[in-house]
Amino acid sequence: MDIALGTLLSPIVLFFLLGLVVALLRSQMTIPEAFAKGLAIYLMMSIGLKGGVAISKGDLGWDAGFVMISAIALSFLLPVIAYALLRTTTRLSEVDAAATAAHYGSISIVTFVAAGQATAAAGLETSGYLVAVAALMEVPAIISALIIAQRGAAQPGSVAGSDRGELAREVLLNASVVVLLGSLLIGWVTGEAGMKTVAPFFVEPFQGVLCLFLLDMGLSAGRGLRNGWRQLGPGTIAFGVYMPLVSASLAAGVAALNEMGPGDAALLITLAASASYIAVPAAMRLALPKAKPSIYLTLSLGITFPFNLIVGLPLYIWLANAISAGAA
Amino acid sequence: MHSRLRLELIIERMAAPRACKLLEAAGLTGYTVLPAISGFGGETRWSRDTDMSASSDMVVVISIGAEAQVHAALNQLENLLGSHIGVLSVGEVQVLRPGRF
Repeated sequence: MDIALGTLLSPIVLFFLLGLVVALLRSQMTIPEAFAKGLAIYLMMSIGLKGGVAISKGDLGWDAGFVMISAIALSFLLPVIAYALLRTTTRLSEVDAAATAAHYGSISIVTFVAAGQATAAAGLETSGYLVAVAALMEVPAIISALIIAQRGAAQPGSVAGSDRGELAREVLLNASVVVLLGSLLIGWVTGEAGMKTVAPFFVEPFQGVLCLFLLDMGLSAGRGLRNGWRQLGPGTIAFGVYMPLVSASLAAGVAALNEMGPGDAALLITLAASASYIAVPAAMRLALPKAKPSIYLTLSLGITFPFNLIVGLPLYIWLANAISAGAA
Repeated sequence: MHSRLRLELIIERMAAPRACKLLEAAGLTGYTVLPAISGFGGETRWSRDTDMSASSDMVVVISIGAEAQVHAALNQLENLLGSHIGVLSVGEVQVLRPGRF
């Protein structure tokens, strides 16, 4: 209860709610687009650097390797489950279901950052290599969803003007993957000494920048929901709430099998429960252009992201504590 | 003044490089890409500031050329618009320097 209240009353969640509410009330307030994108890059650089520094202190062993392999397998598997659930419980077409499923196998880096803050506030220790796990979980779901789409009538086919390399470039060289892995590597190479030189920029202001970014995310989620809710039926909206719980349960199993500590388990569970709204939508516009973005974007950004931030995080921390206590 | 055709394509940002490649392949000598701010179509409102991925942003591609090149581009653009969100229009315009188009 304390964790739930602490998360709900944290500045980041309250700023998110502020943005969400004023956008739903049709406020014209905006955060300049280029500034918001700069904030996203700043946050990814910051967590990448911190993760890299943690790894440089000897945070990367066989255990971490097994967690990474399990996380990749989970990211491949989740779209299969999501697709099956969408096709049986909603009226979404094959191509819309495949594109939506890809979002739920991939991850939301902002939810991961918020989970990092929530676990720290709950007094749980986390490992730096989880940042690498986040980056590794971005891509497999996209591949999985494309295989699903190609097996069904949703076969993408050739679109005029497309070329072979464009999807690979978008998937492997998108901002999240490049900035996260690049910063992780730089943090790993430069270590604690390197971090000291950039800490005044990347460590101290982090919380304030996160508040600004979450305010923008609230505005985006609110406007997305206001513009796109008509595209979602009750079954699809319900999916946006129960699918994170399905994913979280599977990730809890993976965390228990790998005997992860409660902090690391909470982050892995959050990664699995989160849905992408940065890397995957862009890839889907190239790979499955006939899928409706108003469905998958509204669902992942307007339903699942707020659910995870407000209800999910305390639940995932509780779940991580429960499995760790059970293993002890 | 000299008559040419002006092709205006409003298309999702992610598909714009595909459209531009088709314009070049059709022999059009130039085009300009402009950002679009917001709009309504297909029962959906869209706006640049609702999507962090910017994947649902729209752009406007404008190109002016001779009839043969514009018609060659239209055949390919029809295929592109079969998959991607977009609106295409063509109209006659007057240009000052015909050698450039």
